[in-house]
Amino acid sequence: MREPTYFVLASLLDGPLHGYAIIRRAEDLSGGRVRLATGTLYTALDRLSADGFVELVSEEIVNGRARRSYGLTPSGSGALQAEATRMAEAARLVTNRSRRLKAGGPAREASPA
Amino acid sequence: MTPLERHCGWLLHAYPAWYRRERAGEMLGTLLEASPPGRSWPSFRDARALAIGSLRVRGWTWLLTMLWVVMGAGGAIYATVAFSHPGYGEGLLIPPNIQWPREPQVIIDVGVIAEVAWGLLSGPLLVAGFVRLRGWRRRNWLRVTGWAGSWVAGIALMNQAAEWAAAGMYGTRGLLSIGEMAICAAWLVLGGGMTWILAAPAPPRAAGQRDVVHRLGQAHR
Repeated sequence: MREPTYFVLASLLDGPLHGYAIIRRAEDLSGGRVRLATGTLYTALDRLSADGFVELVSEEIVNGRARRSYGLTPSGSGALQAEATRMAEAARLVTNRSRRLKAGGPAREASPA
Repeated sequence: MTPLERHCGWLLHAYPAWYRRERAGEMLGTLLEASPPGRSWPSFRDARALAIGSLRVRGWTWLLTMLWVVMGAGGAIYATVAFSHPGYGEGLLIPPNIQWPREPQVIIDVGVIAEVAWGLLSGPLLVAGFVRLRGWRRRNWLRVTGWAGSWVAGIALMNQAAEWAAAGMYGTRGLLSIGEMAICAAWLVLGGGMTWILAAPAPPRAAGQRDVVHRLGQAHR
């Protein structure tokens, strides 16, 4: 899962949001690293909707234009959790070995003979 | 309508009509909200993302089609330029491929590569269009016929351009070839027609996307 996709899904964890709110939330959550352009956001939303990860929750008319809010589906939530777990495990692998190296121990654990 | 709104609307025209019908209003709202106050043009980032997004929606078959059309039109422009040089065709045989005296080597090379590439692209393009339009389904026969007809028209245009170019060789004075210019214009019209054929139906890869967008539009009506 690419980082922008991850943060689009993560931005919907607290509830449905409309397009601009997703852009703002993704930027906040990523510490300013992920700044989604509008075209990128809707490409991602199309793909995530087609995959069943995101669904339309509500629609209102603001200034004569449609404003749609999107929410996470159960499978979207599951995919996000799986990705978060995968990244956490990958991060733990590196931090544990770095800690061991700093403590003067072997970088690799001896494999059982 | 503010200048920013108008300019964003122009950019959204890069998307196919069926997509714009469902999404343009919503995307325009988001673009306006995301733009800092006082701007009259969207940012370069937004413009680039919209261009890339529209290409993704249109699909690679359309991209190949545009490449084929632009190369065809380029061939007609090349012939027009060659015609305008006195002594056009004199050096064609020795050494090969030089169309007019002192023709730059880079133009010769690009011309040869484009000629070969256009020929190689033609067959796969016909098949790609057939697959994209789901040509084996009976209800798509009209679009597939239009596609095949456009492809044949492209081949005919290229042949006619080559025929006129050959007929005009060894002219002692430069001419402005109206025929080649007309072929160039015909290529542009053909490109518009092929874009319409590819965009109007539900293409196989975009069909899922189209359904999703349509569903988004219908869900709360």
